[in-house]
Amino acid sequence: MLTVRGLTKTYATADGSYQALKGIDFDVPQGGFYTLLGESGCGKSTTLRCVAGLEEPDGGSISIGGHVVADVERGAHVPTFERDIGLVFQSYAIWPHMDVFANVAYPLRVQRPRVAAADIKARVMDALRLVGMESYATRPATKLSGGQQQRVAFARALVRRPKLLLLDEPLSNLDAKLREQMRFELQELIARTGVTTLYVTHDQSEALAMSDTVAVMSAGRIVQSGAPREVYGRPVDRTVANFLGSANILRGKVVDAQGGLTEVALDGGASTVQVPSRAILSRGAPVDVIFRPEDATTHLDPVDGAIECAVERIVFQGGMSECQLRLGPILLRTVVHPVMGARPGDRAWVAIQPERCILFAA
Amino acid sequence: MAVQADQAPVVDVARRKRRRGQLGLAGSIVVAGAAAAAIYLVMAPLLALLATAFRGPSDLLPFEPGAHWTFDNLIDVYVNTPLVSSVLPNTAIFVAGSVTVTFLTAFTLAWLVERTDLPWRTTLFTAILFPLLVPGVVMAFAWTLLFAPNAGWINVMLRGVLGLGSPGPINIFSMPGLILCQGIASVPFVFLLLGAAMRTMNPALEEASSASGARPLTTFLRVTLPVLRPGVLAPLILATLVALEQFEMPLIIGFPARINVFSTRIYFELNPEDELPAYGKAAAVALLFLVAAVVLLAIYNNLIKRADRFVTVTGKGYRPTRYPLGRWRMPALLFVGFYLVVGAILPAVVLVWTSFSGGSNESLNLDAYRALFADRRFWPAVGNTFLVAGLSAGLITLVGALLAWQILRLRFPGRALLDVVSFMSIGIPSVIAGFAVMVLHLTIPIGLYGTVWILILAYSYRLAVSTRLSRASLMQIHAELEEASAASGGRWLDTVRRVVLPLLAPSLMASFVLLFIVGFREFTIPMVLQSEDNWVLSVIMWKLQADRQTAQAAAVGTLILLFVTPVIFVLRRQLLSRQGDS
Repeated sequence: MLTVRGLTKTYATADGSYQALKGIDFDVPQGGFYTLLGESGCGKSTTLRCVAGLEEPDGGSISIGGHVVADVERGAHVPTFERDIGLVFQSYAIWPHMDVFANVAYPLRVQRPRVAAADIKARVMDALRLVGMESYATRPATKLSGGQQQRVAFARALVRRPKLLLLDEPLSNLDAKLREQMRFELQELIARTGVTTLYVTHDQSEALAMSDTVAVMSAGRIVQSGAPREVYGRPVDRTVANFLGSANILRGKVVDAQGGLTEVALDGGASTVQVPSRAILSRGAPVDVIFRPEDATTHLDPVDGAIECAVERIVFQGGMSECQLRLGPILLRTVVHPVMGARPGDRAWVAIQPERCILFAA
Repeated sequence: MAVQADQAPVVDVARRKRRRGQLGLAGSIVVAGAAAAAIYLVMAPLLALLATAFRGPSDLLPFEPGAHWTFDNLIDVYVNTPLVSSVLPNTAIFVAGSVTVTFLTAFTLAWLVERTDLPWRTTLFTAILFPLLVPGVVMAFAWTLLFAPNAGWINVMLRGVLGLGSPGPINIFSMPGLILCQGIASVPFVFLLLGAAMRTMNPALEEASSASGARPLTTFLRVTLPVLRPGVLAPLILATLVALEQFEMPLIIGFPARINVFSTRIYFELNPEDELPAYGKAAAVALLFLVAAVVLLAIYNNLIKRADRFVTVTGKGYRPTRYPLGRWRMPALLFVGFYLVVGAILPAVVLVWTSFSGGSNESLNLDAYRALFADRRFWPAVGNTFLVAGLSAGLITLVGALLAWQILRLRFPGRALLDVVSFMSIGIPSVIAGFAVMVLHLTIPIGLYGTVWILILAYSYRLAVSTRLSRASLMQIHAELEEASAASGGRWLDTVRRVVLPLLAPSLMASFVLLFIVGFREFTIPMVLQSEDNWVLSVIMWKLQADRQTAQAAAVGTLILLFVTPVIFVLRRQLLSRQGDS
């Protein structure tokens, strides 16, 4: 449905130039939900704007639904208004001089050949019903709350049934509670319309919860892409591991490696763990063992093969608590049930599930 | 890239009101002083003027013994008179025509510079703004040198090329000439305001239209223009107010053509050929135009409020997309070039040339400068110009900032009135302001009339420039910053001196510079209030050109250009970065 190949983009700045995109490739299948995830300045928004035609790439090609909309080598650049897209902005960009109906009707009213007025009315009301705003049709745009503006922006993006829906951080201007609610509504909406979606966000929980495919971007490149569980469970490097959820990092040295299992002696000499690893590492090589807080259990009594540490603090978070543990210079984080009666300074033993650990050469 | 916009509701907190009790004695005195100054600078002169319209007979000063209340002035002025049959229609045609010329030109220029890929934009921006700093009287004089029917450069040249006889073919001394000159003279000011409005527009609004499938022209007509409307209408009304109060073009270009508009009419009522000044009649004429100005001002105020509501926060730091000009690039450059040639380059060249050639085509010489520097009026006028512009700018900036602070932060009776007074000055035509100060100080004889000091007071009616700039920045300063000072034991004066003023410093500086320029350019007020002791440069130049000392007048104009040129470069960065506020 959406195919992006070798996309590059360089901006001229006061001190030279800045390469925002260093070669982006990805495909989104028909009806897929593809998320570009990354921190500010990683190039995710620039990618989306290239797909929308709001920025012209310096290299590469983009095609939407089989139509080439940008191909730098062949000098092709289809302007935004001729691309079959719907776009929701971070600031919503609801036109202040129009009411809700006029905002949503706009894509139909500028369509050629003309759409009959009766059709426009019916389709706008359909779109408004889809987002639960049908009773606000005559409301001036300036009298809408943030959440309402957002719904109108969705209705406007979907009203002409585009092939591709582009969402540029659409939830980031909402407060936490509304954001969560809108996330579910949005997911349901997209599922119902079946529209192919490209989603840009810096919020990992949004990305993990909503997408079919997540692409983690960093410094103008896609570092890793795949299903959310795969990217979360098998990050390709520390950056991705750290960016998606919190990760505990233990230092160690390879003791033995055979049959896809690597034995690592953790620094401090306390214990060894056997970790599955893809790479072949030589004996004695320094490595990082990474595990997620939820992949370890915390005990107040000695446990075989567990790592002994000291409780630093317990952070009560309602349904669960985060337990922070001191291991020499390292602070580990684990998840515990809130009833666990540990206090700062207590001894504690952290048992890791080795098969869920990830190994990187340090 | 994805910079989070801080959208916290600043205004509610910033507007938190306080009672006067916390000010202390010193604070109360300062605050009351600022309020009193506002009343003395704006309210009192206007009230004196209003009263004068109803005082007679006309051969007495309005409040001299023997004068009494009467409607004679109004009847004399408004019943079957040239005012109704010619001055009113002339003023209407002049204002409507010149505002149209200004607007079409300024909008096109602002659009080209802010929203297209026009080459050399920063340079052109500076060049377009250049005439902003040049006094209107200098521009008017330069244009008469270019387009006067007999000896104007362009006419002489056209006659040579086309083989026509003298005079003509262009006659600047006509209504179209007057309209075009005024129209072009106001372009930089309106260009600045429109450019700011276009710069602050959220580009996503246009991008959303494009993403909805609208072609660029459709986007321009259905999204850009409507969204810009408040930001366009407000400068339109300001331009109308500016045209309404215009005095130098009607005096230098309109008067030879026997075209009287309201400002020149008031001036000639006050300076008749051989009679006594008719204060009552002048005030009666002023009355009508004051009403017109106040109505325009009310509309403007309304629009500004709407515009504030209209502003949509930009989520990201993307600059607006620039429209590719394509094959319109050359026509666009030609348009900008034509404006620059007529509006800036030719006037500058003709002034400099004339000052060195004495108007004839003999050899270049320094005679005009020698004569000028030997003129006993010249050096005092230089001193007066800078003294009056500097002191009035300082006075207004200080009083205006204090006023803005107390209107925003304090609760006291009369606050609303003070707000109106501080804002009103935008709409008062400067002829009326000068005249009002004259009447007031003829009535209360404290020895200021005829001195430079009365000029400083009269210039200082422009409080709104300072109050509006300060108000805009005060809205951005959380009241909590001041409360934190109080909570740390700072008294009111400490808070003002150590917290408020430093935070306001950039806008105070902007206000001072802006007002200094306005004061430097001022011509109308020093004309109305002139005496042998308070001539300023613009008035001297007018006197020289009226006495046919063309080369010396051009020398004054050249010196003004010399002073102004570096200033525009200093200002450029500030102008480019500052968001639009009048």
